[in-house]
Amino acid sequence: MSEDKVRLEILANRFQAIVDEMAQVVARTAHTVFIKETQDYGSVLVSPQGEVFAAPRRYGVLMMIGMPMDTAIARVADDVRDGDVFISNDPDTTGGMCTHLSDVFLWKPVFHEGRLMCWAWTFIHMSDVGGRVPGSIAPSSHEVYQEGIRLPPQKLFAAGVLNRTLLDTFLANTRTADQNWGDMKACLAGLATAERRVHELIGQVGGAAFSAGIDQVLDYAERQARRVIAHVPNGTYTYWDYLEADMVGLGLVRIKVALTVADGAITLDFTGTAAQVRAALNIPTFAKRGHWMLITGLVNWLCTVDRTVAYNAGLVRPIAVVIPKGTILNPNPGAAYGARYATSHKVCDVTIGALAQAVPFELPAVDSGQGSILLVSVPDFATGGTRVSVIQPIVGGSGARPAEDGVDGTMVLLNFLRNVPTEMVEIDMPEVVIRRYGLREDSGGPGKYRGGTGTVIEFETGSPYTSITSRCMERYLFPPPGRMGGHPGTTGYTLLNPGTNHERDLGKIDVLELGPGDALRIGTQGGGGFGDPFERPAERVGEDVANGLVSVATAREAYGVVCAGDGALDEAATRRLRADHLPSHGAYAFGPAREAHEIRWPQALEDAIAEGLADLPVSLAQFLGGRLREVIDRRASTDPTEVPALLANLRSKLGQRPTA
Amino acid sequence: MTAAAGRYRLGIDIGGTFTDLQVLDEATGRVVTLKTPSTAEPEEAVAAGLALLDARHGIKAADIGFFSHGTTIGVNTLLERKGASVGVVTTRGFRDVLELRRLRLAATNDLFVPKPVSLVPRRHVVEVDERVLADGTVRRPIERDAVLAAARALVDLGIQAIAVCFLHAYRNPEHERLARTWIAEAHPGLYVCASSDIWPQQREYERFLVAVINAYIGGRLRAYFGRLGARTTALGLGCRIFSTKSNGGVMSVAAAAERPVETLLSGPASGVIGAAHVGRQMGEPNLVTLDMGGTSVDVSVVRGEVHYGTENTVGDFPVILPAVDVSAIGAGGGSIAWLDSEGVLKVGPTSAGARPGPACYGRGGTEATVTDAYLTVGILDPSAFLGGAMTLDADAGVRAVEAIGRRLGFDRWRAAEAILRVASANIYAALMPQLARRGIEASEFSLLAYGSAGPTHTFLMARELPFRRLIVPPAPGTLCALGCVVADLRADFVRSLWRDAREVTDAELVAQFGALETEARSWLAAENVELEGAFLLRSADVCYTGQSFEVNVPIPEGPVMVGGLADLFHERYERVYGYADRSSPVRILEARAQIVGVTRKAAPNWPAPKVDGAVEPMGARRVYADEGFVEASVYRRLDMPTATAVTGPAIIEQYDTTVFVPRGIRVTIDPWANLVGARA
Repeated sequence: MSEDKVRLEILANRFQAIVDEMAQVVARTAHTVFIKETQDYGSVLVSPQGEVFAAPRRYGVLMMIGMPMDTAIARVADDVRDGDVFISNDPDTTGGMCTHLSDVFLWKPVFHEGRLMCWAWTFIHMSDVGGRVPGSIAPSSHEVYQEGIRLPPQKLFAAGVLNRTLLDTFLANTRTADQNWGDMKACLAGLATAERRVHELIGQVGGAAFSAGIDQVLDYAERQARRVIAHVPNGTYTYWDYLEADMVGLGLVRIKVALTVADGAITLDFTGTAAQVRAALNIPTFAKRGHWMLITGLVNWLCTVDRTVAYNAGLVRPIAVVIPKGTILNPNPGAAYGARYATSHKVCDVTIGALAQAVPFELPAVDSGQGSILLVSVPDFATGGTRVSVIQPIVGGSGARPAEDGVDGTMVLLNFLRNVPTEMVEIDMPEVVIRRYGLREDSGGPGKYRGGTGTVIEFETGSPYTSITSRCMERYLFPPPGRMGGHPGTTGYTLLNPGTNHERDLGKIDVLELGPGDALRIGTQGGGGFGDPFERPAERVGEDVANGLVSVATAREAYGVVCAGDGALDEAATRRLRADHLPSHGAYAFGPAREAHEIRWPQALEDAIAEGLADLPVSLAQFLGGRLREVIDRRASTDPTEVPALLANLRSKLGQRPTA
Repeated sequence: MTAAAGRYRLGIDIGGTFTDLQVLDEATGRVVTLKTPSTAEPEEAVAAGLALLDARHGIKAADIGFFSHGTTIGVNTLLERKGASVGVVTTRGFRDVLELRRLRLAATNDLFVPKPVSLVPRRHVVEVDERVLADGTVRRPIERDAVLAAARALVDLGIQAIAVCFLHAYRNPEHERLARTWIAEAHPGLYVCASSDIWPQQREYERFLVAVINAYIGGRLRAYFGRLGARTTALGLGCRIFSTKSNGGVMSVAAAAERPVETLLSGPASGVIGAAHVGRQMGEPNLVTLDMGGTSVDVSVVRGEVHYGTENTVGDFPVILPAVDVSAIGAGGGSIAWLDSEGVLKVGPTSAGARPGPACYGRGGTEATVTDAYLTVGILDPSAFLGGAMTLDADAGVRAVEAIGRRLGFDRWRAAEAILRVASANIYAALMPQLARRGIEASEFSLLAYGSAGPTHTFLMARELPFRRLIVPPAPGTLCALGCVVADLRADFVRSLWRDAREVTDAELVAQFGALETEARSWLAAENVELEGAFLLRSADVCYTGQSFEVNVPIPEGPVMVGGLADLFHERYERVYGYADRSSPVRILEARAQIVGVTRKAAPNWPAPKVDGAVEPMGARRVYADEGFVEASVYRRLDMPTATAVTGPAIIEQYDTTVFVPRGIRVTIDPWANLVGARA
């Protein structure tokens, strides 16, 4: 038994070495332009049954441990041979392994003495896989056919022989064929490395020990996860938040979860979550257990609470999932998926929000929720084409933690994201001058621990037809909530020509055209605060003031600290101000905007709407849902019990099929 | 060197626990090594070392003609955040370059990852109106009054040094130089530096940081060099003192006082320089170096030349100055063994460090470490540690291991071996991806192990590690000091171009490299050292336009042409990535030059018995290995003649370490006194 626990640690290390080495090979040889900045690739080892038993923790996409490989494996199961390499990017035929077409997966069986020992598996986010827009992803796409070419699981190599027809057909349907083939070769090099190392390892420990090791590391992670979960009080914890889909004309989309903890297991029930949308915001989870786009919050919590947990699919075994079909988190095949990141981050927020009710001091307040990449393109007069460049990732601050401030200017949950030096941006795009790039002052949610500040970027263009794109902007309406008495952070903003007499507040942008002399300023969200700000030591508030991160006015109003601009405290005045304060430790602070919205749209009404639409065909639910909201919006008030009648009325007005 | 009198070359490496000395007698090739405990004031250990050299070996300070040493003062000042209070004067709108960093956070899957803290608090960063554009043109001129007001505000806040950091100063340094001059005139005595003076490379965070670190650690280093000079002069040392650099070379301490940031990574770099020297002697160009000490395991790669990197880090900070590419891959002999909540045996990452150190050091440590495991299985002789200079507390070490064993249900020996196996797996798991990152196939390389624990552990991993051979040099515990002795003068220079090759003319390229060469040669001339020769290594960082993967392209001697550079890039790219697209436009990022002033070095002549033949073990020791006891013959390294071969199980003891050779491994002593092992 003990010997097993030594062998387990040794094998876990060897498995880790293989996936880390594979990741290095892929990253070093890949061609995708932004791989260094966004780390959007992955490399794992998968058990014959389809569970990820080893995954990198330092390189690439981190949530691959929740990728469901079972459907993809089942589809090819009847013909798997040594030297095969499979390929797919299709969510609908892989049961949610792929979650948008841009992620192209390659995987390879590894045999020993004729027996399938494991799979080596990689994916890379390609720059373009075809579809209606360059880069393939547009939030306004509303069916998967607009998002590029689909490859259901099939052999790219059969027993080592390349299927040239398949490859050429795929590449011919993309805008970046050479780069894509380069990326695929990087993945193939990674798979070859993994296969060689697995063979070496089996040579050293034997096939039986290797196979037993896979089961042991998976069971080990599962035991660890169950033990961590077991210390959470049993119960059901409900939480919801809203995806801001107003920029694609869909208003606020509710994501709701009831998180049930029962003796070391968790069920995430997303019943009540909005219907799937006619926009590229759907996540094809197929309601798979521990699906990777649903577990970011929970897995980060597991890894934070117990730093020793083994990082593999065993961790997500205890996480069951219930999601009604036809919702944004479990859409019917054919929906659009490209920009699902914003939705996934919102899911992370609601799972953390729910769990925090049970273990409040094990989770942070909410972060900026926005992981957008600001792209600029200008006409290239020399070639007649356009030149495209990244200006910056547009992210805001982290939520405050139970014993530390949030990180300023970036999100703990997007820890891998890198910015671009301003000097590099201005060389790449001389038409653009960055006027300012820094922290957004006074934006972090006040708290005993302050939310991380957002950022501000301001730039001007000298070129006609300057096109600005920033996908997945979020939290312009409702700020990141604060927790345990902490205040909410701040919402984002976009100002056109700030400080001039034609300044305009644009709200969220998707695509925007600017002309010579135009300037744009984007402020990102400050994270929510944690704990009552009146409990923050006055010296720390003074320090924030001296550093210009908190204003004198906020220090006084939110923190009860009286100080000068250089942070010098007026201790007597501070004492007086703080003495009158009633302690405040409310679980959440959502801010006035959301509170006003929820008075207008009570949860009972939202529940009634979700329920009323639940059994309708998707397109009908989408259409009637929109109309129903318009009707309710025009009425003085609507009781939830009126919803079925309102719906029936709307439905009766739909035109009959014309008869001949 | 300048003082031709001295016949000895002295290298000293000051580490956390020990200060290591190596002396090379240029007349005879004789090598002397010494270790002495490090002291709170490092110059005291240097003085103690000099006294020991005289007392034990009759080597007088006055006869030393070259003295080069490495210090950790710079890196520790940075890591422990004990540097000067630095103010920054910067471009309007860019106050937060140091706060934002490059955004990326160190830890993953950690909601409670510590918040990074800038070296310079935000209130000590003052913006002034000025702006230079990417092409070097001035968009907004700088004004003296504004700069002086900013500096005055910082001085009033009590800062001790100022770094001037403006956008695009690598392209047009005029504003930075004006500001630096104005501030220096107004505040004589205040340390002022400008980012374009220290390292004029594009990317503001990294360049600003170089200047800030330089200002941050400079005061303490200058004070130390002053004390060291006074102390050694008093002891009769007449030669100049050199400091090792992150790039593996040396510079005069006067140069180091100006650019202390260049010493940050000098410690690990010296070891690799020493290792490369050993490899060159024995004709092994392809080395992976593994330095396993008490608190860390560092790896690097030598392919004929040492491998340089420009993405090194110190603590939280990236350092873009070229440095020998060394990666820390884990904790060393001090790594603590423990059981997690599932009862699974783990080793590290926590280390007992130098204090309290492993339980067997008898300094109050109670947790079992890898070193305690060596002792328990019988590899270490508690009475022969450091040539008997330090006695190990065997009972304490064994007790600590037994405590782990009880919880595993293992006896002490099995527990100790389990700790070693897990430690090996840890090293393997961290090492292999590092090789992949550098594009290296282990089977074409030899592993050279050094540091106090490297030689002890390396053959234990021989079965897993796919290297051609495993090498333990003659003085593995003082290899860094050897690196000090054999180092050349070396300095790096850079110019950022960041332009498409088709926009750059040959004349411009020639001018850029000409300017670099002038700068490099005047640096070497200013060092004023008698040399065997000097050469200039030129290279350029080049990439395909629009891609983020750059390749450093060495440029052969002769005139440099844009077309020729592009051809060299395509060739090199193809070698690295397997294909090249000769029709794609190419962008020239950085022009680089490294000047090397070759110092005189006699070939070390290690004191090995000249007679070839068999060697008698001086005894035998019972060692627990491979789940059973074996009788390991014990040899003294100094007694082993060239060409001796020993097959494991065997133990080879020497002054600075103990080597264990398990069953199935055969080691030979090569003509340069290295132990070379391979599977038997």
